[in-house]
Amino acid sequence: MAYGRSAGVLNADGIHVDMQALKAGEVDLGTTIMAVTFKDGVILGADSRTTTGPVIANRVTDKLTMIDDNIWCCRSGSAADTQAVADIVKRHLDQHAVHHGERATTGQAASILAEICYANKDMLSAGLLVAGWHPRYGGEVYQVPLGGSLHKEPWAISGSGSTYIRALCYRNWRENMEEKEAIQYVKESVREAIRNDGSSGGVIRLAVLTARGVERWLFTPDDDYSKPTDDKPQKM
Amino acid sequence: MTSIGTGYDLLNSIFSPDGRNFQVEYAVKAVENGGTSIGIRAKDGVVLAVEKIIGSKLLKPGANKRIATVDEHAGVVYSGMVPDGRHFVDRARDEAQSWRQTLKTPIPTSELASRMGSYLQAYTMYGSVRPFGITAIVGGVDGSGDEVIDGVVGSGPSTGAGGKVDGKHGGPFLYVIEPSGQYWGYYGAATGKGRQAAKAELEKLDLAAGNITLEQAVKEAAKIIYNAHKDNKDKDFELEMSWISGVDGPTGGRHMEVPQELKEEAERLARAEDESDDEEDEKKDEKMEE
Amino acid sequence: MDHRPQAWGRPRDDVYGAYDHSFMNTNSHPNQHTQQPLVTGTSVLAVKYKDGVVIAADNLGSYGSFARFTDVKRLHTFQDTSVVGFSGDISDMQYITRHLHQKSIEESYASSSANKKSRLSAANLHTYLSKMLYRRRSKMDPLWNHMLVVGFDDDEKPFVGSADLLGTTFTAPTLATGIGSMLAQPLLRTYAGTDEEAAERTKEEAIKVIQECMKVLFYRDARSQETYSLAVVSREGVEMKTSEKLENMSWAFADRIKGYGTQTV
Repeated sequence: MAYGRSAGVLNADGIHVDMQALKAGEVDLGTTIMAVTFKDGVILGADSRTTTGPVIANRVTDKLTMIDDNIWCCRSGSAADTQAVADIVKRHLDQHAVHHGERATTGQAASILAEICYANKDMLSAGLLVAGWHPRYGGEVYQVPLGGSLHKEPWAISGSGSTYIRALCYRNWRENMEEKEAIQYVKESVREAIRNDGSSGGVIRLAVLTARGVERWLFTPDDDYSKPTDDKPQKM
Repeated sequence: MTSIGTGYDLLNSIFSPDGRNFQVEYAVKAVENGGTSIGIRAKDGVVLAVEKIIGSKLLKPGANKRIATVDEHAGVVYSGMVPDGRHFVDRARDEAQSWRQTLKTPIPTSELASRMGSYLQAYTMYGSVRPFGITAIVGGVDGSGDEVIDGVVGSGPSTGAGGKVDGKHGGPFLYVIEPSGQYWGYYGAATGKGRQAAKAELEKLDLAAGNITLEQAVKEAAKIIYNAHKDNKDKDFELEMSWISGVDGPTGGRHMEVPQELKEEAERLARAEDESDDEEDEKKDEKMEE
Repeated sequence: MDHRPQAWGRPRDDVYGAYDHSFMNTNSHPNQHTQQPLVTGTSVLAVKYKDGVVIAADNLGSYGSFARFTDVKRLHTFQDTSVVGFSGDISDMQYITRHLHQKSIEESYASSSANKKSRLSAANLHTYLSKMLYRRRSKMDPLWNHMLVVGFDDDEKPFVGSADLLGTTFTAPTLATGIGSMLAQPLLRTYAGTDEEAAERTKEEAIKVIQECMKVLFYRDARSQETYSLAVVSREGVEMKTSEKLENMSWAFADRIKGYGTQTV
């Protein structure tokens, strides 16, 4: 605990006010997010629940955030922190593209993001996944956990719901999946997390990043997540 | 020198009525008096070479290097005023470092050239400064998609990233930056005193076809410098050469001095060519007598 | 009703008394950045032998007790002459390795010749890193690592040095960080207790004792993993292997263990 700051005031009536506990009402992305590589690129997936303590603040949240044309991220932790970080990185990447006439690579985007998380680790509560497709580097997945370290992985999951599905994801994972299989893999994994985690729920959103650009899919509880809401993905 | 006495050449920030910046043109003169430097963009790497004029026998052989490393994958050689060149190199290193700090990757050679071009250009606009008395040749090999982010841990799928698009990515690049701040990309570049002869030789290599290998380029570079030195024979010189290959080549993607053995071999070939040229000249002379 | 932003979301003054504004005044407390390590690496081991040093660390990045990242290489080569092994926070490790990378680029400015030896010996590097760690701990913002620096000293003798987050340093013929300093160090001392003894050991003996210790650590360190990296630093350079696996483990005796006391079936 931070020295001298967490204690608050002990009043004459003996009631102790814990300032940290008051802060805990902050909007939290108790979440299930994942990003996986496959044969032609990457897929990002997320549930849609945002909570304030036990209350669902938003039941159709979009946790998949575009930070560049073909680089997206999934956010977990404090909604405010992760949105701020994503916005800053997006600004960097936009400027990079204008300045150099070339889009940044997924690794460079993840580096900028990790640097922000690392330099401000004492103030942020942000766990992010960065996934992107780049003509030269193909599909890549990077994870930036709480301390701001940078990890490159074939697939990554994060958020409170991810703990319930880790073994499932390990078991079902195969390298170089076909697109259809990979979509199924992500969707089914998030579905199990929603089943088990109180802080995850709502719809399942996917984003597929390949040479074709980005395609978004939406699965809802209306038909038990069995079919996408559209036969064709939503092209962006 | 039509400019002399007109007053338009006294300050950087003043154009002459016919639209010239004489200070920049004088800077070019400083370059034209410097030892010849060349750069060759071969199909699998870049070679930089310089004719280092040895002004005194008291100087230690091999000391006072003229080719500088800017980042792992990039190097610079220049002709003209050496202290100006040193400052150019300092700045180039700072640019490379700042790129690395934000993006955790090596700076692309084109970006390095662009930044240095802008830097030199700024020295042509103010009365309080003079332009750089150098023309610099910047060489580098950019990654082709297999390089990793600095400091990252872990890796992608063992089969490699999916969805890569085939085609040429990265590879060797060569740029020349002039005192005006103008810069172009080249296959072969020469500057300094012997540039005309060197350029003529470089053109013969047909570098754009992409047939010359790095090792051949090293040998050609030595020949060209030796040849260019012919018009400057009264002065001693040392040949200095560096090279950069791709990651799978002899330097592992790094800018470094050409190894002693290869350099000696290249110099031996260059000298042999030199002598045979002289013999031919003598024979021609004999014919004339007949 | 109090409309000042300072009062937003805070208990009512008439119920709880006035808010203690010293909380908002950052000058009234010591500056504190210091977090805690999050993603961490466990022990690093190193031993000298007659021609160099052997160093090893597993490839695990733990998140508390959770084995979160299984492919974290914690041995880093510096200029093909030294190796630094990191335990502790992985994000700080990345910060330091990037810093070292930049250092080695700066070293190459002076000479870019392929066959010229690095000016910075492992002993120099050890001193440098320890100053870096001490400076950060003095700013109350430590780099949360304990590392071993191995290679050669300025007299070309094998070198093994330790530097921790407080800036504490020491050298010894064999060293271990973290739980390894309790479990492996006693075993390593039986291999070589003094520099004289280490100078009699071969590379094969050194590798063998490291492998044995990695096995003991895997048996008894709850934050360890089966795959590890092992590097041999000799005068010829660094021989780095990053996907070693523990061999000849002993588990079959579990067959003889029945119950927890008197039970026999």
